[in-house]
Amino acid sequence: MTNDKQVRILANATASRIIGHELTRRGFIGATIAAGTAGVLAACTPTGGPAPAPGATGGPLENGLSIYTWGDYDDPELLTQFTSDNGPQITLDSFNSNEEMISKLIAARGTSGYDIVVPTGVYLPQMIQNDLLTELNLDLIPNLQHMDGAFLNQVWDPGNRYSICKAWGTTGFVYDNTVISRDLRTWGDFLDAAQNEASGKTSVLDDPTGLVGMYFWSKGIPWTTSDPAQLDEAEDFLVNTLAKHVAAFDSYPGGAAIPQASHVLMQSWNGDARIGILESDDPDRWEWRLGAPDTELWMDNWCIAKGAPNPEAAHAFINFVLDPEVQLVNLDYIGYHTGAEGIEDAAADMEMLDLVFFDDAQVATMHPWEIGDSQQRVVDIWNAMRAAAGA
Amino acid sequence: MTSPATTGPRGASASNATAPPTRTPPRRKPRVPLSDRLLGMWGVLVFLFLFAPLLVIVVHSFNSGRLLVAWQGFGFEAWEAMFTKPAIGNAVWITLQTGVIAALLSTFLGTLAGLALARRAGKWTPWFSILLILVTVTPEIVDAVALLPWLVFLGADLGLGIFNDGIVRLVVGHSLFATAVVSYLVRARLVGLDERLEEASADLYAPPVRTFWRITLPLTMPAVLAGALLSFTLSLDNTVVSAFIQVSGSTPWPVYVLSAVRSGLRPEIASVSTVMLVLTLGAIALVAVVLKRSGDSTTQIVRTLSGD
Amino acid sequence: MTSQITTPRPRQDASRTPPSRKRQGKWWLPKPLLALPAWAWLLIFFVAPVGQVLWFSFGYKPGIFGTHANDVLSFDRYAEALSPTFFLTFQNTLWVGIAGTLICLIIAFPVAYWMALKAPLSRRGLLIALVMVPYWANFLVRTIGWQVILAPEGWLSHLLQGLGLTNEPLEILYTRTAVLIGVVYNYLPLMILPLFVAFDRVELPLREASKDLGANRWSTLTQVTIPLAKPGIIVGCLLVFIPLMGDYITATVLGGARGNMIGQLVASQFQTAQNWALGSAMAVLLMLIILLTVAVAALIVWVASRPFAWRRRLVIGEDS
Repeated sequence: MTNDKQVRILANATASRIIGHELTRRGFIGATIAAGTAGVLAACTPTGGPAPAPGATGGPLENGLSIYTWGDYDDPELLTQFTSDNGPQITLDSFNSNEEMISKLIAARGTSGYDIVVPTGVYLPQMIQNDLLTELNLDLIPNLQHMDGAFLNQVWDPGNRYSICKAWGTTGFVYDNTVISRDLRTWGDFLDAAQNEASGKTSVLDDPTGLVGMYFWSKGIPWTTSDPAQLDEAEDFLVNTLAKHVAAFDSYPGGAAIPQASHVLMQSWNGDARIGILESDDPDRWEWRLGAPDTELWMDNWCIAKGAPNPEAAHAFINFVLDPEVQLVNLDYIGYHTGAEGIEDAAADMEMLDLVFFDDAQVATMHPWEIGDSQQRVVDIWNAMRAAAGA
Repeated sequence: MTSPATTGPRGASASNATAPPTRTPPRRKPRVPLSDRLLGMWGVLVFLFLFAPLLVIVVHSFNSGRLLVAWQGFGFEAWEAMFTKPAIGNAVWITLQTGVIAALLSTFLGTLAGLALARRAGKWTPWFSILLILVTVTPEIVDAVALLPWLVFLGADLGLGIFNDGIVRLVVGHSLFATAVVSYLVRARLVGLDERLEEASADLYAPPVRTFWRITLPLTMPAVLAGALLSFTLSLDNTVVSAFIQVSGSTPWPVYVLSAVRSGLRPEIASVSTVMLVLTLGAIALVAVVLKRSGDSTTQIVRTLSGD
Repeated sequence: MTSQITTPRPRQDASRTPPSRKRQGKWWLPKPLLALPAWAWLLIFFVAPVGQVLWFSFGYKPGIFGTHANDVLSFDRYAEALSPTFFLTFQNTLWVGIAGTLICLIIAFPVAYWMALKAPLSRRGLLIALVMVPYWANFLVRTIGWQVILAPEGWLSHLLQGLGLTNEPLEILYTRTAVLIGVVYNYLPLMILPLFVAFDRVELPLREASKDLGANRWSTLTQVTIPLAKPGIIVGCLLVFIPLMGDYITATVLGGARGNMIGQLVASQFQTAQNWALGSAMAVLLMLIILLTVAVAALIVWVASRPFAWRRRLVIGEDS
């Protein structure tokens, strides 16, 4: 939003507070964390803008690194490895939806303490426009060369100035074949089963867009519609028909619900479903279905938040996870395609790859979300459905 | 029917309470009425209800599986993981620091306010009471949504960098309700106590400072300690406010757990909870001993604790 | 919180006030200054932020990524907040709040009575400490413990099936029952403590006097013990009800979708919709409604207690 050049500040606590104050007035948030108690030795204020203005210059890594990401989205052993190799201790925090993460960043205005955030691509333009992200210093991320060109240079961030593909995936559902004996194929089947044999034992994503999407896909309506009549129709169905059959709003059934068999029918992202089924005592009872006839396509991205207190460590971490070996380990754990060149061949001997890689025909049925006029309405529908489900 | 004999009923109703060893061996056990036995059974059931999940947590801290809830086998992996994951230790440490600072702060503020309410009532008292009541009835979520923009305003717009500090934010968030509670406790304690002691001291020409330190403060001490303990406890479990205002990197333990719930709780969370349980039990025992030495019985401690 | 019914201490009356009272400067601080730190703290960190929320609530949400704007002021957000969703959610919350508080009271009453009046004197301290113990483990972790017990493949299910009481796996998670179990479990100690204190204060001589006067157990309970324990009952109900109304995490851990509470709706306006104006209006409404509920409850208790107090006086008067 601004054209200021890079500002790098090395100052003592008092000075950094004043400088931070000045920067704030110009729309920046000084990373003057802990000025009062710990004392800040070096405050690094990353700035954004069209001119190359990296928040990190390849200096020594900070002691900490805070990542705000989706639940269970990196192999914990890789995080441990990063810490033991490079030093920074990692704090993980997770969110349920892009909206939740963006709200947090907006509300905290650079004081959230998060370094790395992992938004879905379609949310990036607005996040950049609203000055929530810091430009990446690609010089510090040489491992970018291992990425498949198909996942770089996306419409939401040409030239990868702010983001690099972290993983991409889709939405489908998992069901327990010991309870649901028929073969569920489509979202229509999902919604039907939810009202019948899976009533009261169905969970749906705690994500406004995915909820509304499920209904539109089942009806063959584009899920990005902003037609009020269609949105009314979706609200009516979700609130008055489906809500009372829903047992839980759970974005990560793979974390506990699938291994514990808490529900019999669960809307789920593909990688999370795979984690859950692999963790289950009895994997054979679980059937995975890609949403049909249409479903979601999302790509999450590594980004660095505005005001990140540890930009050097953040760059080092992004470079670390883009290493092909590391990507392979991560893919095996999270069950999402991470976008590395040739990873599909490298991963050929892993389990349950039908939940990870999709053929061209399948990808053709996947559509990204678009942020538009329906945004507030979709959140309202989600709230109304939660209210109805609680009744 | 209206005989003045008092020992009879007293013996009957208090027999199981005093369990007199000096009495001549009773031919038969003192009759415990059915209603009392039912009450006792109910008590035992309720304690089972309170402790059943804790037992589960302690048992599952030895779960060798990946998920806390899904038992896979016996093992000490979770106890080892507790030490290898710095994020856990960090979260617990942040929580303990916050708890202690918040407890000290709210005890300080609340004690002074309580003293003033009990001994220095004036025109301001009703207004202050209304404020305290408002603080008490405000749901946590309202505090949370109000504090986040406010702290960001103080930190970013006014340039008060201290409010960008994670622990400072948490302490602020945890101190509000706790301050009100401590004020109630201290006020209640002092209202129940005779002011004449302090007056006597003043009559004997003790300087006010000495009266305060020698008379008022010791009298108030049980309430102050109880308030501190309660503030610490409230801070230890605070999730809603913390989740909103926390600065990542100084994530407190309850928020760490809340976040972990989403991706499946690991058994090490049970181990840490077990450790915290044991540690805090030790802390309570310590406080109880201190209170006992200052001459209060346990029930008095509890009385004070619950604001009576 | 400070009722002094049972242990009437000789209150000092005016005539006994020592003459020194006039010149007393007992402490070194002038009157209201003692409360000044608390005043200041609460003004800065409670009144100001809540005031800011009140201010936001008259604004509106500008655009997708704007959170609030106040250049046009109106009450529109309040109209918007009072939507069917709000009412439905509030109704659920109120139901959980009232049912949870009542169940806590019903469970806690006999326990507190037993602890204070029947349990061996030497063990009372231990019992009270035991009531508090669960509070030292994180509440989410505690509640997850219940999840393990109540799961279809969980301990209780196996126990019941083992005893032959049921053949089906237990289907209790994600129901209203589960919501109440979670809520009651987490708030029960807050009910037991004040009740214990209240019963503990009803000293033996009074109850004996009642018996001596010919009252049976039941009338001693209803006409002496309960009225005297009333402050404890009120405190306990408030301690459970108020936090419960704002809590939106406890209920969902076991109850899933059934545990949807009003706090969630308020939070979601800030956390998901980024509509601070609407969220603020909801927060203000929530605060007002809780105040109102408490006030109405207080009124009901007050009205209900009046004939009770009168009757008690009458009975005692007749007998003596």
